[in-house]
Amino acid sequence: MLAAVGPPAARRPDPQRYAMAKQQQTVLERQYSRLGLLLIAPTVLVFCAVIAYPLVSAIYLSLFKIFTPTLEGTWVGLDNYRTLLVKGEFWTSLRANLIWTVGTLTLQIIFGVGMALVLHQNIWFRSLARSLILFPYFISTVVAVLVWKWLFNDLYGILNHLMISAGLIDWPIDYLGTMPNAMISVILVGAWKYFPFVVIAVLARLQSIPDQLYEAARIDGAGPIARFFDVTLPQLREVLVVIIMLRAIWDFKEFDLIFLLTGGGPVTSTQTLPLVVYKEAFALNQMGMAAAYAVIMMLIMLVFMILYMRRTQREDT
Amino acid sequence: MADVVLSNVHKKFGTFTAVEDLNLDIQQGEFISLLGPSGCGKTTTLRMLAGLEFPTSGEIRIGDRVVNDVPPGDRDIAMVFQSYALYPHMSVGQNIAYPLKKRRVPKTERAGMVAKTAEMLQLTPLLHRKPKELSGGQQQRVALGRALVRDPKVFLLDEPLSNLDAKLRGYMRAELIELHQRLGRTMVYVTHDQLEAMTMSDRIAVMEGGKLQQFAPPQEVYRAPANRFVASFIGTPGMNIVDGSLHEDAGRWTFTAPGFSVDAGQLGPDARPGPAAMGIRPEGLTIGSGPIQGITQLVEQTGHENITVVRLEDGLRMTGRTAPDRLWRTGEPVQLSIDARQAHFFAEGPTGKRLNRDVCTMDAPGSNGTSLKEATS
Ligand SMILES: Nc1ncnc2c1ncn2[C@@H]1O[C@H](COP(=O)(O)OP(=O)(O)OP(=O)(O)O)[C@@H](O)[C@H]1O
Ligand SMILES: [Mg+2]
Repeated sequence: MLAAVGPPAARRPDPQRYAMAKQQQTVLERQYSRLGLLLIAPTVLVFCAVIAYPLVSAIYLSLFKIFTPTLEGTWVGLDNYRTLLVKGEFWTSLRANLIWTVGTLTLQIIFGVGMALVLHQNIWFRSLARSLILFPYFISTVVAVLVWKWLFNDLYGILNHLMISAGLIDWPIDYLGTMPNAMISVILVGAWKYFPFVVIAVLARLQSIPDQLYEAARIDGAGPIARFFDVTLPQLREVLVVIIMLRAIWDFKEFDLIFLLTGGGPVTSTQTLPLVVYKEAFALNQMGMAAAYAVIMMLIMLVFMILYMRRTQREDT
Repeated sequence: MADVVLSNVHKKFGTFTAVEDLNLDIQQGEFISLLGPSGCGKTTTLRMLAGLEFPTSGEIRIGDRVVNDVPPGDRDIAMVFQSYALYPHMSVGQNIAYPLKKRRVPKTERAGMVAKTAEMLQLTPLLHRKPKELSGGQQQRVALGRALVRDPKVFLLDEPLSNLDAKLRGYMRAELIELHQRLGRTMVYVTHDQLEAMTMSDRIAVMEGGKLQQFAPPQEVYRAPANRFVASFIGTPGMNIVDGSLHEDAGRWTFTAPGFSVDAGQLGPDARPGPAAMGIRPEGLTIGSGPIQGITQLVEQTGHENITVVRLEDGLRMTGRTAPDRLWRTGEPVQLSIDARQAHFFAEGPTGKRLNRDVCTMDAPGSNGTSLKEATS
């Protein structure tokens, strides 16, 4: 009896009346849209000034060969892009950039979700731990990196000291001056610095999962692991999508942490694209080439974002 | 055979006692309602049965084992939550199949069981939808399906119909009754809706303030309420309850209230002279003739009868039922009589014990004639 609530019997609209109703509606709609335009005008203006103009200007600059100190340039068309794409530096930097992004993001997600699950439990130091966990995220990058550089130092760093006294190693490790140590260190510091963001976002979501879902799962015979995969994780999916998207973009364009920690070294092994942009613009004084790099970076992120959004949209339907 | 037994169960949250010394003996295949006002401990009791909450003291048995330390998944129970608690990312079919999956029922068997359950609940066309694409009533049925697919020993239902509209609720009520008859499984049903409890249950456990007030078949709860609380809680419109006092004269009792007195006849052994209360259901009042004088204060016309509220001389209000063909106007003087055979007498206090001698005298004239003794056995 319940299942069969069919669609209402199709009524043929009286064409004349229908047209009239439509006309009335558009008058009202026009009024609304005029008001709407007025209301969003300030935002649009600000958007144009701080986003659209720099973007267009960067694309424009990338078509010139510009000497940074004088900002004088000559039109070269797509030459910058052509040079860039055949240069080995672009591809090695892109590779370093991807390794850094994927590595640090993966660790951020694993640490972040794990820590959020721990902090979601009823442990006695919970509120203290929740505030302490934010510490790496709020501390300034310069300060954090300086501290880490001291810890990592191969001559007097505490890390080597501890490992030697524990008998784990016989000889100090050069954390930042050799590969792959330098990349691993950068990835770890990045994970340490940014995982609190994941913790906060995931914890907020965890707290809004209804207890009854867990109770229903317990009655249905699900153990703790099954409850994590069948209740917690699906509920976290949406927030993880957002976190991954945001953090992927932010990590991809991370500059100060890597620049301060290794300066892109040893040689160029941790030199990610943002560091190349900086080098081209201010060390090699090639503003046009720097702009070309920046535009390419933007395109890469755009491709990722589109792929990602497609994927999540398909999953949703 | 007793199927579910709670013995001396207490539940405290900190210093607050949510359930106090609860004893329930539920027979195999019985449909039991836990009925009571909000906050009386119904859900807490059900959750203790489910294993989601642990009794502070006391023992819970399901079948032939003590389940105090048995986790919910191993208790052979199924529960329908008030909020349905469907897994939002799973389709209807996956939701229903989930308990089977977790109990390692082979995939091939599972499909057949899900299909059968879906058929029974008319969910077959919806099997591929997600819960958020369903109406409240449909979600309700999915929640039921998730419980039914497994054929557990005991069903626990926490106000499963409270989110539905009146029509759907009536329909689902009938469905549940039929389902219970078909499956013959023990069901424990939490509700604060007395109509649901009265129409569906074999027995009703009326609770108040964490304490069991009465555990009896619906008719007995209605006709022989154990105390003043049960009397006033059950029945719409509610029982008229008048404070007064009892006097004894050679084995015959008289109840005196300001303005009138009623011959109470013989009362049970607990009756004491002094302050007491009398309860009389609206159908025990005759409006239009009698020794008591009053003024009509309010008339509610429900269609097949009128609910008439009469104010007595000293402000006391009595509610009665009158035939729809005689409509009293507000303010009109009216006479009133009380059928002493249908009166209940209670000791002092909000949960004062009922003092009448036995349940059989409560057979109201015009009832179907089965004595309550027969009905209970
Ligand atoms: N986890 C808890 N901690 C503290 N007190 C609780 C907890 N759960 C329930 N209570 C208290 O126990 C009492 C009984 O709660 P319960 O949920 O059993 O009521 P109920 O009879 O189901 O009411 P309702 O009809 O409103 O659902 C309430 O006073 C409630 O405040
Ligand atoms: Mg409840």
